[in-house]
Amino acid sequence: MTERLVDARLHLLGRQVLDTDGEPVRTVDDLELAGPGGGEVRAGQEAHVAAVLVGPVLATRLFGGRVPDSMLPRIAWEDVGHVGTAVELTVGSDRLDADWVEHWVRERLIGRIPGGRHDPEGDG
Amino acid sequence: MKKLLGVALGILTAIGGFVDIGDLVTNAVVGSRFGMSLAWVVVLGVVGIVLFASMSGRVAAVSGRATFEIIRERLGPRAAGANLLASFAINLLTLTAEVGGIALALHLASSVEPRLWIPVAALAVWLVLWRVKFQVMENVAGLLGLLLVGFAIALFQLGPDWGELLRQAVPPSPPGTEHPASYWYYAVALFGAAMTPYEVFFFSSGAVEERWTAKDLGTNRLNVLLGFPLGGLLSLAIAACAAVVLLPAGIEVSSLSQIVLPVAQAGGVLLLAVVILGIVAATFGAALETALSSGYTLAQYLGWSWGKFRRPARAARFHLTMIVALLVAVGILMTSVDPVAVTEMSVVFSAVALPLTYVPILVVANDPAYMGRHVNGRVANALGMVYLVIVVVAAVAAIPLMIATGAGS
Amino acid sequence: MNVGDLLDARVLGPDDAALGVVVDVRLALDVVEEPDDEPGEEEDREEAGRDAPLSAQARRDAVGSARVVGLLVGPRGAGSFHGYERTDVRSPWPIPQLVRRRHRGTFLVRWEEVAALEELPGDGAWRVRLAPGYTRLPPELR
Repeated sequence: MTERLVDARLHLLGRQVLDTDGEPVRTVDDLELAGPGGGEVRAGQEAHVAAVLVGPVLATRLFGGRVPDSMLPRIAWEDVGHVGTAVELTVGSDRLDADWVEHWVRERLIGRIPGGRHDPEGDG
Repeated sequence: MKKLLGVALGILTAIGGFVDIGDLVTNAVVGSRFGMSLAWVVVLGVVGIVLFASMSGRVAAVSGRATFEIIRERLGPRAAGANLLASFAINLLTLTAEVGGIALALHLASSVEPRLWIPVAALAVWLVLWRVKFQVMENVAGLLGLLLVGFAIALFQLGPDWGELLRQAVPPSPPGTEHPASYWYYAVALFGAAMTPYEVFFFSSGAVEERWTAKDLGTNRLNVLLGFPLGGLLSLAIAACAAVVLLPAGIEVSSLSQIVLPVAQAGGVLLLAVVILGIVAATFGAALETALSSGYTLAQYLGWSWGKFRRPARAARFHLTMIVALLVAVGILMTSVDPVAVTEMSVVFSAVALPLTYVPILVVANDPAYMGRHVNGRVANALGMVYLVIVVVAAVAAIPLMIATGAGS
Repeated sequence: MNVGDLLDARVLGPDDAALGVVVDVRLALDVVEEPDDEPGEEEDREEAGRDAPLSAQARRDAVGSARVVGLLVGPRGAGSFHGYERTDVRSPWPIPQLVRRRHRGTFLVRWEEVAALEELPGDGAWRVRLAPGYTRLPPELR
């Protein structure tokens, strides 16, 4: 088992999150840390990444302040499969509730226009 | 044989796709006022876009990340957000110019007022983005765009004094009636017209979507290396036609009909019809690319699902963005603003926006963690550094020159 | 707590000396061996590689857990452009050189040598205090 060193801000924050089919989900906005056994992080004790936080943090990152944890969709670190130039998950995006806006736009708008679900690369 | 046809198709599409409304208008204006004394800028711009397009294609192919994803990652949310605002706004301006260009060309062909063609043009662009197999449309638009070679045919038929044209170009000798500030303003505008930012967003996103192999990268490099310079020659032909017909007569270019006047004069109605069809195709193709770029930039900044190959339902916000962009473009055009004036503004602002995309690409192309063994070689870096300086100088000089010359008047 | 809480937190030495701010958090990713990584199949993969998307060659590791191993402390917040002070990339000149000069003095401290994480009242900012006898390690990523 080898280890690879990465820096959170340099290599993970702001990176694209892709689902298991390679479809973009969101961007990594923050990483949730946890201590031993998933408890609180304490100085001097082991700490690890518990989840990837993707979410509407854009406004707070631009203007400061914090978004309450309850509003931040989280993806458990166990669902992360690969880390390369993007963070690739092992689950499909539909299973995540990270993207209710996309679902909403899909159902209410785009899905309602004729041809919205048609695969442009399907029939010639 | 089939492979050769494929290669030829790629190159021809690149030639036909090089000229958009920005190149058309700016080259004609420049030819009518400065003769061929700004030809060197076209050469500079062509080399720049070849360098820029290949670098961004290589970065996207190797890393699997498109340009605006890279901008977002590297600059952090605030700086990238500012970058997005500027890039998106300028892209929208260019889209407005292209849709306006389609309408103007259709107006030339029929006698139906441009305002009536604007919604039709935008709707047609949207339908293609929504339903049509993209590669088909790109090839059709690219090949029909080749009809712009009618300008070159017209130039030959006009029997110009080639020596005179050459003398204006080398060394650059602008007419004494023009102020140096205007000369340099139009140099920046011409540079921005050749090195359009949307080309880079479009290219890199395509490389990611199509999951380019090493072979694809080589093909793309060939298309760009051969296609763009030949497209540049078409630009020069447009400028030369204006230099030969409009400059001596002191005709100022303010509408599409003046731009095609040399063609009508040289080759009559038939050649004119061919060229108008070429203009419709070229601007339509550019409108497709620019609309897609507006979707790409926003979606990539925010991490949404995007792609012209995805079902619209799987990239819902991406498609919504393009629909809104087209609606805004139509809205702007329906205020009866002159599309030619919009075009002239869009090319100057494109020059201003160039460093925003160019610097991140140049930096990432040197990142071994991203590029592995495909990092920039010394030649690419040397050229890249030279163009970094040129691009920054052009961007910084653009607005002051615009103010000083009253946008070139 | 989140990584974002640690970033830009002020860092104090054991004697309350101001050492800088947290520029980044260094993690160690467990790289999992992929099941089909068998020696001897290298050649077949080379063949397939030529027709495979170039992006498949980009460095991409299957990861297990991600452990916090240290904090990068630097003179300025907001992180450095590209982290040039942690790599030895030299192009395109002069950008890496300027960034390195700006962030000179950045060092790495091991997670074990963090004595306390204090949440400040008011704006919820955090402060990091290092243990006595901490060592300043070079920031380079190996």
